[in-house]
Amino acid sequence: MKTINSEHHLDLTKEDEKVYSTLNLGPTHPATHGIFQNVLTMNGETIVATEQTIGYIHRAFEKIAERRPYYQITTLTDRLNYCSSPLNNIGWHLAVEKLLGVETNKRVDYMRIIVMELARIADHLVCNSVIGVDSGALTGFVYLFQEREKIYEIYEELCGARLTTNLGCVGGFDRDFSIVAIQKIREVMKGLPKVLHEFENLLMRNRIFMDRTINVGGITADRALNYGFSGPCLRAAGIDYDVRVQEPYSSYNDFDFIVPIGQNGDTYDRFCVRQTEMWESIKLVNNALENLPEGKFNTEVPAFYFPPKEDVYSKMEPLISHFKKVMGEIDIPAKEIYKAVEGANGELGFYVVADGGRTPYRLHFRRPGFIYYQAFPEMIAGQSLSDAILTMSSMNVIAGELDA
Amino acid sequence: MEYSILLQELKNKFDKSILSIDETADIPTVVISSTSVKEIISFLKEQQNFIFLTDLCGIHYPEQEKELGVIYHLHNLVDNKRLRLKTFVTKANPQIESIVSVFSGANWMERETFDFYGVDFVGHPNLIRILNVEYMDYHPMLKEYPLEDATRTDKDDRFFGR
Repeated sequence: MKTINSEHHLDLTKEDEKVYSTLNLGPTHPATHGIFQNVLTMNGETIVATEQTIGYIHRAFEKIAERRPYYQITTLTDRLNYCSSPLNNIGWHLAVEKLLGVETNKRVDYMRIIVMELARIADHLVCNSVIGVDSGALTGFVYLFQEREKIYEIYEELCGARLTTNLGCVGGFDRDFSIVAIQKIREVMKGLPKVLHEFENLLMRNRIFMDRTINVGGITADRALNYGFSGPCLRAAGIDYDVRVQEPYSSYNDFDFIVPIGQNGDTYDRFCVRQTEMWESIKLVNNALENLPEGKFNTEVPAFYFPPKEDVYSKMEPLISHFKKVMGEIDIPAKEIYKAVEGANGELGFYVVADGGRTPYRLHFRRPGFIYYQAFPEMIAGQSLSDAILTMSSMNVIAGELDA
Repeated sequence: MEYSILLQELKNKFDKSILSIDETADIPTVVISSTSVKEIISFLKEQQNFIFLTDLCGIHYPEQEKELGVIYHLHNLVDNKRLRLKTFVTKANPQIESIVSVFSGANWMERETFDFYGVDFVGHPNLIRILNVEYMDYHPMLKEYPLEDATRTDKDDRFFGR
């Protein structure tokens, strides 16, 4: 009998086949929540080796971005982690602002924090409720999805879209928060704690849930760092790395919030870290909304700020400038930057190389999910199939982010 | 840790491999020779606390003699300092030593760079395509492959860039 290394998948010989069996998990399997394949080599119920195949929804975003003006790339970022697209949008806007050297005003920063934290809540809601579903507890999922729906209604009020939001623009927002939007945010923030409590009552100290998740799919802090983990998955392993604290952007340093960390890096810890992060996000949104400074909802970035519509229709100069901006004929300094934001899954980075042209010369997305999903075989080696499913959903692997 | 001390130390230790240093960029950028990538990254990780490989990606400059570049973003989580390393190779000899044994996370990032740019990471345990199909016989992010069909005549791009 061959010993099978968890890193390398082997073609099984006739002799091995008596011991090991091969199981295809995916590409389209209801429990993988996305299109990617895992070929598992199993010894009875135990997983021995895993071979991952990704790229089923690769859409060549980095190549497309090399032909698109900067403001049109926002729509590409929507489709990375589509569970929290406003976060990606604003991350990209922050990257372009860093490239241009723009300082946004406080109101823009606070509005952004509200939207980003709402997106984080929506993302964690999906992830944590799905951990519940995969362990057999469907009830919590139904509770939480109602709240996510309400957050999507806020997006709708802010920008008109729900899933692929294309929210805001370089320099801030297209328009101010409407009264209805603020009302809706207040309502969600009022209702959410109750629902979260209810959800935690269902799962957090539930014996069955704890037995299913504790010591399942664990990873040590050392290995997690070595694999380039970031976000909740890294923090669950016990390392308090959060981009919001390490490199504060968008005035995050005005606020007081806790970065929760776990100890064992297992599925239960990831669940708890996300759960605590949601409470912190609620605090952040409430704080930002209460202290929302007066001012403009948009910093005037000359290269991206459109003239008023009525001037475009009636005057020559505004029309020309509007046309040039839409066509992307704007001055971008030739330099390269790396800008990271704390996405829902971890450090979402944008490495932009600009050569002064209308499009980036090279744009690379640092996609947290892509980087940490490669640790999956190591995390599930020696565990059962049902544990593998739980591990995967607690890592919040999203195919859009994985494949770009 | 100060950047100036770190860069000085790098210069002292790897004098021949450091080609240029740019301290004015948003993250201090060091261009290193492609033969000592692993050595320098191991040194940074073991002795300078650059324990986090943030990003690894490729770039293509067709007009340069060494066309292909690989860019490493390292992060010193202890002192919260970032560092960018760049290295360039020719398209005919795109060999760079793999750093998978230093950072396990480099595995897929190197595969991605190989997939899109054709950089050959020597010592990589499983250097195969990752996002594109296996039977693809070119590396699509190279600049000679235009995004749109180059034979198109109905669209004049002269006025609006690439």
